[in-house]
Amino acid sequence: MALRYEYTVETEDLAKYYKMGAYIVKALDGVNLKIRRGEYVSIMGPSGAGKTTLFNMIGGLDRPTRGKVYIDEVDISKLDAYELAWLRARKIGYIFQTFNLIPVLTALENVMLPMIFAGVRREERIRKARELLERVGLGDRLYHRPTELSGGQQQRVAIARALANDPAIILADEPTGNLDLQTGLEIINLLRQLNKERGVTIVTATHDLKMIDVSDRIVYLRDGRVERIETRAEIAVEAEEY
Amino acid sequence: MASVEVGEVRLPLSEAIYISLQNVRRRFARVAITTASVTLGIAFFVSLMMMASFQAQVGGAGVQPYMYWLLFISLLVCGVGITNSMLIAVAERYKEIGTYKCLGALDRHILEMFLIEAILVGGIGGLAGYVIGLVAAVIYAVANPSVGLQGALAALVKPNPAVPLAGALPVAVGLFVLGVGIAVLLSLIATIYPAYYAARLNPAEALRYEI
Repeated sequence: MALRYEYTVETEDLAKYYKMGAYIVKALDGVNLKIRRGEYVSIMGPSGAGKTTLFNMIGGLDRPTRGKVYIDEVDISKLDAYELAWLRARKIGYIFQTFNLIPVLTALENVMLPMIFAGVRREERIRKARELLERVGLGDRLYHRPTELSGGQQQRVAIARALANDPAIILADEPTGNLDLQTGLEIINLLRQLNKERGVTIVTATHDLKMIDVSDRIVYLRDGRVERIETRAEIAVEAEEY
Repeated sequence: MASVEVGEVRLPLSEAIYISLQNVRRRFARVAITTASVTLGIAFFVSLMMMASFQAQVGGAGVQPYMYWLLFISLLVCGVGITNSMLIAVAERYKEIGTYKCLGALDRHILEMFLIEAILVGGIGGLAGYVIGLVAAVIYAVANPSVGLQGALAALVKPNPAVPLAGALPVAVGLFVLGVGIAVLLSLIATIYPAYYAARLNPAEALRYEI
């Protein structure tokens, strides 16, 4: 059953326009993307290219002006608020540039939060949250609050939280943007390992070039359109040429 | 195309209460400002009613009609204060609200968390207000020879029919129930608009917000 869907994410002529006074800003303008199950895809592009908007659309956080988004072959523009909330809880894990942990809760409680919404039993929540935090290397920080953790540690908690309900896809918006080089590299490697060992599809928006090495494909966005898509094989060839 | 098999999305009351309790504990400075507003309003209400009861005990004027007006205005001002400080609390937590929604929270879960917080703030503020009002009234009685501590104690254990809604209970008990009740109700009413506003936030916009 789990392998039923070939594509985890599919967008069809996806567009999002914002009205800014008299202007219409085309944040996305006809994006067609197909992301396979288990792929690690990086979305690159300059600021304002539409990366975050694309994220919000795929993540079910905002509604498109035109076009469709399918997650596991379900058209999410047709979902109501309840179904969208369920989709966000069960199918999608989010990782943000600013970590966005709940400041009043401990690391363990933060990881348990999505499982509460998903209706997982309390003992199971604790067991799984512990296991995930141990997996990301924070087994000794379970009861620390976000303010007592470094940036890299906070992002690890966020990764554990994103994995809590075994989502089909993890969306990471600039996950290394607030981290130093070394820590950023650790986070990228962790994401890649989790992608391989759990088969979770990962889509990251980034302008961090370190991401190129681990990505299966790189989608270049410019002015709300897909400029080009490179696969790993092509990147390797290019690297040899230089 | 496949159709969704949508499961349950829930936030058990015990978990909502736990999160609200953590919010109150960890954001104590912010909560203290809101609570202070409730405390002052209730302290004023309780002390005024008690002083009037003391006066009635020793044959004085007792509760005067103008006092109701005074109390109404003071509680109104207090309600506006709570609304204001709750609106700021919401603005501070835009990003957090966006995050909760990403994790699967429904609008009503956000509403619930803020309203539980309002009940906690109202309860704490009401309790503190009652204690301060009681102390103030007793100090007034001791300082006023025509009442004295004896007169005050006698008045506190006797019902005063002039106290609205709780006239059948001994003054000390009636004003406790009424004071805490008004505090919770006031806090709830004042929080409805900010909480509703928070619950309706579009997650994408809430996440974009930088303080």
